[in-house]
Amino acid sequence: MAGKVRPPPELVEEWEREDAEFRELRRRSADWKFIEEQEPRVRLALLAYIETGDRYLAARLAGMTLGEFDEVRVKAGVVCVT
Amino acid sequence: MLGVADACFLIDWARFRRRELLANLFELVFVHEEVLAQIRSPSAIDFVSRLLARGALRLYPWSAAEEELYVQIRDEVALDPRIPSLERPDLLCLVIAYRTGGALLTENLGVLRVVQFHPTYSRVSAWTALEVLEQMVYKGLAEVRSVEDFISLVSEYCEDTKHVFSSRRMGEVVERVRAWLAR
Repeated sequence: MAGKVRPPPELVEEWEREDAEFRELRRRSADWKFIEEQEPRVRLALLAYIETGDRYLAARLAGMTLGEFDEVRVKAGVVCVT
Repeated sequence: MLGVADACFLIDWARFRRRELLANLFELVFVHEEVLAQIRSPSAIDFVSRLLARGALRLYPWSAAEEELYVQIRDEVALDPRIPSLERPDLLCLVIAYRTGGALLTENLGVLRVVQFHPTYSRVSAWTALEVLEQMVYKGLAEVRSVEDFISLVSEYCEDTKHVFSSRRMGEVVERVRAWLAR
């Protein structure tokens, strides 16, 4: 069943802090003019990536493979953070 | 040393000006065929093709027993909303790393989080490109005489790949490199 192995609360709190840090880095790095110029599906994918950091989700939204979406991510100047 | 590479790691690393050093750090890097299917950019295809041709990268012979492990870890963690982006290809890499004892080369935040707490998979060494660069220093593959040299090496990677590292991860790695330089 899903959720059988759960992370401890203190780790989840650390992740929430990390997520906020990473989201801010992605927002600050983005070339917003480039993003606004993209077709709606790609623009949505880039915005989803900036907010979530989820490359798979963004690639699916864009209708691309992971590698194809990553080319767009780099052109949009959006950093990947780990 | 064995490695197991996921798609995000390979896609990013393929853009790095010193990408060829990966084959000097690992005896062999395993990759799953579903990971290869995600790789479409010319730079990544070129890099992966050359690694395969040199024998530095090899397709992992996936088994039914490993498929069972995949289903188990998927059911345990993949639907947890607090763990982002746990897709099948990256979980397959986690299973391969567990089975082979190889270092998991990943930029998947979800996988990096699973190894932080999962009772079985926390024994897997999961490395981002930052830890790979760190290992290259220890193995003498990158000439680093000071912490500043190391930060410069990391900056090259960040510049080439548009990939940055969290302040926590960067701080931990820099401290280890500092201690190693002072030994």
